[in-house]
Amino acid sequence: MITNSSAARRARLAGMTASAAAMVVLVSACGGTGGGSTASPKNFSYLSVTENTTVKTALTTLSKGACRTANEDLPLKVETVPQSGLDQKLQLLAGQNALPVQFAAGNAPALTQQLARSGHVADLEKELKKLGVYDQLQPAAVSTIKALYGGKVEVLPYEYNIEGIFYNKRIFTDNDLDVPGTWAELVAASAKLEGKGIQPFSASGQQGWPLTRLISGYLYRSLGPDALQDVADGKAKLTDPQYVKAAQEIADLGRKGYFGKGVGSIDYDTAMNQFLTGKAAMFYMGSWALANIADEKQNTLGADNVGFMPFPAVAGGKGAVDQYPSNVGLGITLGAKSFDSRTGDWVSCITKNYGATALKDQGVISGFKVNGEVKDATAVTGQVRETISSSKRNVLWFEALFSTKATTVSQTNAAGLVNGSLSPQKFMQTVQDALSAK
Amino acid sequence: MHRVLGDRKAVLILLGPALLVHSLIMLVPMVWSLGYSFTSGNTIEGFTANGLGNFQRLFTDPAVHDALWFTAKYAVVVTVGQVVAGYLLALLYVFFLKRASALVRTLVFFPVVLPTVAVGLLFQKLFQVAPQTGPVNSLLNAVGIDSVDWFGSAGHAFWVLIVMDVWRSMGFYAVLLFAGILDIPEEVLESARLDGASGLRLVRHIVLPMSFPVLLSSLIFSINGTLKAFDSIVALTGGGPGNATTPLTLYMFQTSFTYGDYGYGSTVAMLLTVVCLLVTLVVFRVSRRDLTEG
Amino acid sequence: MAVDSNPKTAGGPGSGGRIPAPSGRPLRRRPGNRPWVALLVALLLVVEVYPLVWMFLTSLKSNSDYLNNSTWSLPTTWEWGNYTEAWTTGNIGLYIQNSLLAVLPALALILLLGTAAGFALQVMVWKGRNLTLLVFLAGMMVPPQMILLPLFTVYFRTGLSGTLWPLILTYTGTGLPLTVFMMATYYKTVPRELFEAATIDGAGILRAFWTISLPMVRNALLTVGLVQFFFVWNDLLIALTFTNNQDLRTIQVGLLNFTGDFGATQYGPLFAAICINVFGTLVIYLFLNQKVMKGLTSGAVKG
Repeated sequence: MITNSSAARRARLAGMTASAAAMVVLVSACGGTGGGSTASPKNFSYLSVTENTTVKTALTTLSKGACRTANEDLPLKVETVPQSGLDQKLQLLAGQNALPVQFAAGNAPALTQQLARSGHVADLEKELKKLGVYDQLQPAAVSTIKALYGGKVEVLPYEYNIEGIFYNKRIFTDNDLDVPGTWAELVAASAKLEGKGIQPFSASGQQGWPLTRLISGYLYRSLGPDALQDVADGKAKLTDPQYVKAAQEIADLGRKGYFGKGVGSIDYDTAMNQFLTGKAAMFYMGSWALANIADEKQNTLGADNVGFMPFPAVAGGKGAVDQYPSNVGLGITLGAKSFDSRTGDWVSCITKNYGATALKDQGVISGFKVNGEVKDATAVTGQVRETISSSKRNVLWFEALFSTKATTVSQTNAAGLVNGSLSPQKFMQTVQDALSAK
Repeated sequence: MHRVLGDRKAVLILLGPALLVHSLIMLVPMVWSLGYSFTSGNTIEGFTANGLGNFQRLFTDPAVHDALWFTAKYAVVVTVGQVVAGYLLALLYVFFLKRASALVRTLVFFPVVLPTVAVGLLFQKLFQVAPQTGPVNSLLNAVGIDSVDWFGSAGHAFWVLIVMDVWRSMGFYAVLLFAGILDIPEEVLESARLDGASGLRLVRHIVLPMSFPVLLSSLIFSINGTLKAFDSIVALTGGGPGNATTPLTLYMFQTSFTYGDYGYGSTVAMLLTVVCLLVTLVVFRVSRRDLTEG
Repeated sequence: MAVDSNPKTAGGPGSGGRIPAPSGRPLRRRPGNRPWVALLVALLLVVEVYPLVWMFLTSLKSNSDYLNNSTWSLPTTWEWGNYTEAWTTGNIGLYIQNSLLAVLPALALILLLGTAAGFALQVMVWKGRNLTLLVFLAGMMVPPQMILLPLFTVYFRTGLSGTLWPLILTYTGTGLPLTVFMMATYYKTVPRELFEAATIDGAGILRAFWTISLPMVRNALLTVGLVQFFFVWNDLLIALTFTNNQDLRTIQVGLLNFTGDFGATQYGPLFAAICINVFGTLVIYLFLNQKVMKGLTSGAVKG
């Protein structure tokens, strides 16, 4: 077969194969440059999502100011991934034991807890107490975190948000409407607005969560603050009639057209914009929207025309209106294996200074104590901050205690619930099935 | 007879590097990943053996059935749409536009270049119902039909996806097929014309059979892309409403990484791979038969 | 259905190419077809070109303009600042550079290795070539999501993460099957006797591959190259998975920089970045397109 073979050629071929193999070996030998949570980190590496610029900006500010010494010992190094890629990235990095010193621990608390269970996350209550800075966390924030993470402090409250309904004061006065105190009043007010051709709510069905938050809002008012904990504990099911009732109420709002047309394809910005340009009377949102409200370019109503009300009470319900749904934003945590004294310096500096810096520079309310005087940007900001500091018991949101799968299922099906393509019973069944799986 | 062409060393030199890269980058990871399909867990919590548990789950998981059905439906419709539209365009270029076709070809090809993110946003706007009525709905209104919430129901969203993907790639297939039709020897066409064949008959009896190889290649390109469609679906519908437009690729990705169930995700991947292999075998058969004839 | 006869005389360098048509000849025979075709083409162009115009106009709108006014209106104020914003926030310059550094070597490898393998599989005669082709074909069907975790592990352990190598290697790997298959198909049209004749003259088969076969499949190379370029250039999944360092981001990943917390998006700068990307690739395409057409007209391969 082989006609023009020669020893030289054979040798060359063998050499090629060998060198290819050698390269692989060589490359694996001098590996390990990925860095990460080894015993002594080289940087205060921080992995976050691209979408969140607040924490990144504030930490950079601190690294040049209040935390300069900590930064000299362990320089801050920020890496970001797009939010949609975060969970995947964490899985990949955790698999290599290469998680950074500080990182956003997943899009849902479920993933954070998984990381914690397998020893990737530092016990922050213990560490902060050791550093003597545990009292720098606001009690409300601590209670939210503990409710979210099974009684443990697994993340730092870089944000602290409460949620409720923002409303357009001018539309309300023009139509002789009082701020609704009960769900029935809210529905009646919506009917009146709709009758006058004003869209009662704006909401992003594309995101899904602004709709499911209404379900949980109703549940917390009707069944009390443990409503969803009971589901998580298996004491109740979402398919129980009292739970389906909540979905039914929200579906009714949709059926009557209170969210406007095509709610399923309304994105976050559009929903926000509809409210801030006066095209909708009410907007369920978290306090992070204060930044948008304060921005005159976005808010054509003027900040003074925006009011904030708690989710209304349900007649005969066990919940109270001062139990605000709350969250700590993106859950940002610290790696267990890399938590050494230099990391400690950083963390204690953050807890003491972050609150004031974030509020002053970016108008963001965090769960850290604000040390020093900071003036509120708008009246609504003041109102929200007061609400937070006076609140005793807060609640979570619909998917807070769900698995990531149930979270996705819930949020992607929410639009179907309000546009009528999915019955309340079927919606709750679908989510419950996703919850029960595994 | 083919002595020089049987030179083993030459074969190795020519084929070796490609086979090496192919094995290291595609085959080994594939087998590696398939190994996970007998486990449950993920990289965070570690993997535990799960025997055939994942496979049992695969057969009873309604989401898998939905995804499989969607993948099949989508692959068939889009592949047919892309290739047929492309072929018609190619005929248009060759037989109607001729010299003027360069510009049209370029412009029609262009959507291939657009980033998926942009195409997704564009089609959301084209088909939107609120806050403004998008052009498609405006058109419907003009002929007396009510606006449709295109992304609100499974059926409608499916067709928007189809339109988007056909729009996106028909220009590409047109160029591919155009080159194929150009390769038909002029003499063959000429003699057919002299025999009185023209129009549709010419296309059916001469052009279509003569451009069969390139048509087949296009079909392979297309089915290869549509069975594995991921980006464009994520960009336009994100798999929704609900999971109505979730293909196997997306379900696998979600299961593995978002839901942190890598073992089961690999099992779903195995299902997709099997589907792909079956299609590959069919394609391979057809193309080899064509080879032995040629 | 007019079918044009175009009796191009044989013997010219482009005996097969019908493009460009010899000048001076009437382009059609039946006048009745003209308006019909013209209308169709016009419609086609509107459908294909308008999105570009839309993208460009949107890139010049402010966010409130984008959200409040009709999608199809002109910008109320022309926000050229979006482009500055895109260039800095989006870091587009660096990302384009990264994209090029990852895509071009990968493309070169895909074409070189793929053509060689296609030649070995189609022109050379040896046992097991059908099976080997099947192996490549199987690779074509592997869903890319599946190889991410193993590859990540390998790249990480070998210290390749933190460079562009994972991208180059993965692109090459994922691009090869299709290329091998396509090139094998193209080589089908070249008679084997040609290479035998060449090697009788003393040129080795490797040389015959390089000097004789490559020019013959030039068109195929360009077509496949073009296809692979766009596949790889538009890739998001692989780039997202393997770039650990933000200095290594590619342009597609960079486009995700314009979304904010809770789903907020800066549409103006996003579209400005998209426009920079798109018009950049357009230039590349036009350049390549010239080449492709030149290739087609000078010596097309016959079946």
